[in-house]
Amino acid sequence: MPTEPTILIVVELQDCDLHPLSFEALQAGNQVAQNVNGRMSAAVLGNGTDAAVKRLQGFGLEHVYVVDDPLLESYHGEHYTAALAEICHSAAPVYILMSNTLTGVDLAPRLAWELEAGLVTDCVAVQTADVGPVFVKPVYSGNVMAVYRAATCPFLVSLRPRAFAPLQPQNSKTTEIVPVNCALNPNPRVAQVERIDEEVQGIRLETADRIVAGGRGIGGSEGFGQLRALADVLGAAIGASRPPCDLGWVAPTAQVGQTGEIVAPGLYIAVGISGSTQHLAGMSGAKTIVAINSDPQASIFRIADYGVVGKYEEVIPTFTEALKDMLT
Amino acid sequence: MRIVVCIKQVPDPEGPRDAYFINTANATVEPRGIPPVLSLFDENALEAALRIRDSNPTGSVTVLSIGKRITNAVMLKAMAAGADSLVKIEDEALDASALDSYITARVLAASLSKLGFDLIVVGRQAADFNDGQVGIGIARLLDLPSVTLVRSVHISGHEMTIERVLPQGCELVRTALPALIMVGNEGGELRYPSMIQRREAKNKPITTWNLADIGLTTLPAKRVIRQCLFAPELNDRSCRMIDGASLTEAARKLAERLHSDRVV
Repeated sequence: MPTEPTILIVVELQDCDLHPLSFEALQAGNQVAQNVNGRMSAAVLGNGTDAAVKRLQGFGLEHVYVVDDPLLESYHGEHYTAALAEICHSAAPVYILMSNTLTGVDLAPRLAWELEAGLVTDCVAVQTADVGPVFVKPVYSGNVMAVYRAATCPFLVSLRPRAFAPLQPQNSKTTEIVPVNCALNPNPRVAQVERIDEEVQGIRLETADRIVAGGRGIGGSEGFGQLRALADVLGAAIGASRPPCDLGWVAPTAQVGQTGEIVAPGLYIAVGISGSTQHLAGMSGAKTIVAINSDPQASIFRIADYGVVGKYEEVIPTFTEALKDMLT
Repeated sequence: MRIVVCIKQVPDPEGPRDAYFINTANATVEPRGIPPVLSLFDENALEAALRIRDSNPTGSVTVLSIGKRITNAVMLKAMAAGADSLVKIEDEALDASALDSYITARVLAASLSKLGFDLIVVGRQAADFNDGQVGIGIARLLDLPSVTLVRSVHISGHEMTIERVLPQGCELVRTALPALIMVGNEGGELRYPSMIQRREAKNKPITTWNLADIGLTTLPAKRVIRQCLFAPELNDRSCRMIDGASLTEAARKLAERLHSDRVV
């Protein structure tokens, strides 16, 4: 048994494979492991985990703890917490890291309370301090950064998507796979009745390299039709700030921002978006930002690379046509 | 049916950056020149509670808030929107620097035990520190089932059916009351009060307790230490403004510029 402290990375599955954000969690875990001279292990939960477990080879992990159970087919807070608590019992981690996805938003606090452990959510950086690793997160809508350290062992950290570069496989050390037995309660207090998958039109936000996003300035669902035409030409996904989602102009899944999707595409075109701090927190990592807004004072221009001041209805059609001519 | 909504006042999150003055001595933020407001998701939580009461008219909605000092003006907004009563837990010991999610959940759970409830509604996370763990903590301390990311709720007798947001859609889940739900913007925008409602809000009952009143003489130790706060680096970009004789011309120039800069 290694005597070095264990850093446990809870990876997430997507269609029986590793969720791409898992590699970012491994990166953060690697930084913590270096800081405390520890070893990294991973926890995998699901129903049919072989492919995901295989993909975790080559990351220098000490162990991959697996609970494979039909009850873990889709995420259920009570089941996942129970299975992870069992893994933590075997792994005795000092730090537990996971992505702050919609799953992590539910799972991280549940596990923290189960383990009576402290938790810092939505961290964007791990730093070295004389007290050990400290975890940095944006607070007050990104206007202030807060630095936290553990007051419990284990200690949990959830990680903001796109804040860490994905870890690349680095060595051939074989990782030992440890199946963990866990008797899950078949009658949880919250019962799942039905699952409704909603089709996403076009390209998915989370993986898109180009995004065309609209805000309150778009004025209604019809306006998003113009943005879709532009998105089609660019092969881009459709995004939105919060108001169009609240007002039902677009699906809530299109929301980009602190509490929506956090994106970092190559190109982000913000149309009719004034640039609330909530929204900027979700897209300021884009490589190139183009802003089109009728208000020259809009704060979106402060973080944009290219800007046009004017009514979007008069800009977008010509812009779309011109791009179409260039790209075909 | 008694619904209790836990709400928090925060400095307006849309304020300019220099409005959030960092007190390095105790790692807290002192707002300068921006008013306290209801935390955004707490407004959604209150709206979700009011919608439940709309379809269960015998129910009542109480808002509960804890802090060193709670601004009545902020709480009046919740009452004007439709909450029936307010319970404030005010105590010198509840200074922001003395609290973490664990202690906050302990204080709220003790208050809720004294208050009584059938359903607890909390916001997804507060707009200041975005911790997002107090709700699940309260449920844990009071041994209640809890559901997060709630979009809508239907209550029939002691059973509650909930639409819950998923990455690829939603799910319907069922649980029994008493229970706790956590609500984000999916809960809906808080209704706008009329002038009459605003006037009447001032006459609604307010109860103020301190920590001793809810049976908490000492606060437990923190589980998370906030080491320090710092201002983020400004990474404002220099925006190249594209204009032309007309917006159509500007649009064409923008496309050309993006192409020549190899952005597209």
